[in-house]
Amino acid sequence: MAAAALCRALRAVQQVLPSACPRQVRSYYVDWRMLRDVKRRKVAYEHADERLRINAIRKNSILPKELQEVADKEIAALPRDSCPVRIRNRCVLTSRPRGVKRRWRISRIVFRHFADHAQMSGVQRAMW
Amino acid sequence: MVGEVQGCKLQCAAGFTCLRLSALLCFSDAVGKDQAGKVGAVQPGEEKLAWRPHSNLPVSEGGLQRSWRETLCQKNGKQELFSTSSVLSKDKDKSAASKDSTHEGVAKKQEDGAETPKQKLLDIIGNMKVEVTYRKKLQQLKASESKKQAMKQLEGLDSEGSVPQGIAEDTQRGKPLNPELVKAASAVASSLPHNKKQTVSELLAQLRRHEETTDKQKEGGTINIRNVISEMTVKKQSPAQRGARISGRISLQLDEDGQRIRRERSSAQPGDSRRSLKVGKRLNIFTKASTEPEHALKTVSSPTIWDLEFAKEVAAVTAQPPRNGFEEMIQWTKEGILWEYPIDNEVGMEDDAEFHEHIFLEKHLEGFPKEGPIRHFMELVICGLSKNPYLSVKQKVEHIEWFQNYFEEKKELLQEI
Repeated sequence: MAAAALCRALRAVQQVLPSACPRQVRSYYVDWRMLRDVKRRKVAYEHADERLRINAIRKNSILPKELQEVADKEIAALPRDSCPVRIRNRCVLTSRPRGVKRRWRISRIVFRHFADHAQMSGVQRAMW
Repeated sequence: MVGEVQGCKLQCAAGFTCLRLSALLCFSDAVGKDQAGKVGAVQPGEEKLAWRPHSNLPVSEGGLQRSWRETLCQKNGKQELFSTSSVLSKDKDKSAASKDSTHEGVAKKQEDGAETPKQKLLDIIGNMKVEVTYRKKLQQLKASESKKQAMKQLEGLDSEGSVPQGIAEDTQRGKPLNPELVKAASAVASSLPHNKKQTVSELLAQLRRHEETTDKQKEGGTINIRNVISEMTVKKQSPAQRGARISGRISLQLDEDGQRIRRERSSAQPGDSRRSLKVGKRLNIFTKASTEPEHALKTVSSPTIWDLEFAKEVAAVTAQPPRNGFEEMIQWTKEGILWEYPIDNEVGMEDDAEFHEHIFLEKHLEGFPKEGPIRHFMELVICGLSKNPYLSVKQKVEHIEWFQNYFEEKKELLQEI
């Protein structure tokens, strides 16, 4: 997410030169679940600040309780997809929800595939 | 008269530890001239406040000073003229002792008891000058002065045996020192109770060092880092050249010649380029050229659509497919697919705000009530924000403003409570 945002910013700043060699571009997500996950991430990013501030009011021992109850209602009124808990770190290539290594964002099967073909930088078969 | 003047000079010189000898001499001259006509008067009250010039020597300097102190105690009965500038000085032992010894030798070349204001001024100025110099120079100059004094005093008392000793030692070390200084050194050593040869050698070594430093400063040989670096690079090239020559000899003759020629050229060119780059005046060609097209661009109002299209066409035609992976990576970096290495974590961020704008956020709390739970809450918020290094100042201000808006909306509710 952050990487994508950064790439967008860079493109906006720099002039996009027409590439001489067109490369393959993925125009579809792997499956609908991945697409929904992408939507949730976007919405969560938009409402992140608000949620943080309203939660700061709620989880408080100083402010009056009435205020906190009002804040509870407000946060419940936000769209359901805005909470970060609903985001699932799926595999980027296969959309597998489980067995995903966070550093590479790919599932274990894909990781093994690439590592055996020596396409993972700095990854070696363990032997000790 | 001459003798008196000399004596005065000695006394004055003995007084100062620092040693701008020329300044001292002029002071001494002035003093001498003032005092020449006057009668020497006893000033017992001022004996203790001897003419003690500034010395920045540490108290622990040691054996020499203690010995001087002993001699001083023994000679308290002497009558001598001292100025009030002694009040300004600090350690006086060595100089005082030397002065006492000089006075001994100078018999009764007494100076005037009267202290003219001029003398006082001169003395004060002289002492003030003393404070500026370095310690080592002080020591060295002190040593040299004391030697001069000792030499002059004990001209009659010098044993002939000590002089040739000093001279012999001096000549052994190459650089010829002033024979007077040598004599003075030997005289001083003889006067001290400790090992004579050691003291003489130490004093001479100090003198030599002092002379070397003064010579260097006269020549103007300040440390030039560029020269040092250029020298270093030249030295580094030679082993490489030697290696090349050796390898060249082993291979065929043609290769030897070719390699030698190439390496000589290559070795010469970087050396020349280095020298030519660093040395010489700037021609300011490129700076001028860069400024001109900027002005030209500013004069143009805005490029039309046709110009943009033309530029795009040209870029599309000239852009060749990447020949290798490096060019591919360059293209990706330009397009924004690849980050720039070394990775800069603050690429998008441009936080020009100073630290105090991040930390002292109380000025944004003006819209809130001064007392109550809300104020307490907001102060905690500000405390947390001040410790947050990840947000920019704008974001922090937005944060606080959001809270302000929120609480204003809830004012009715709050008033009910």
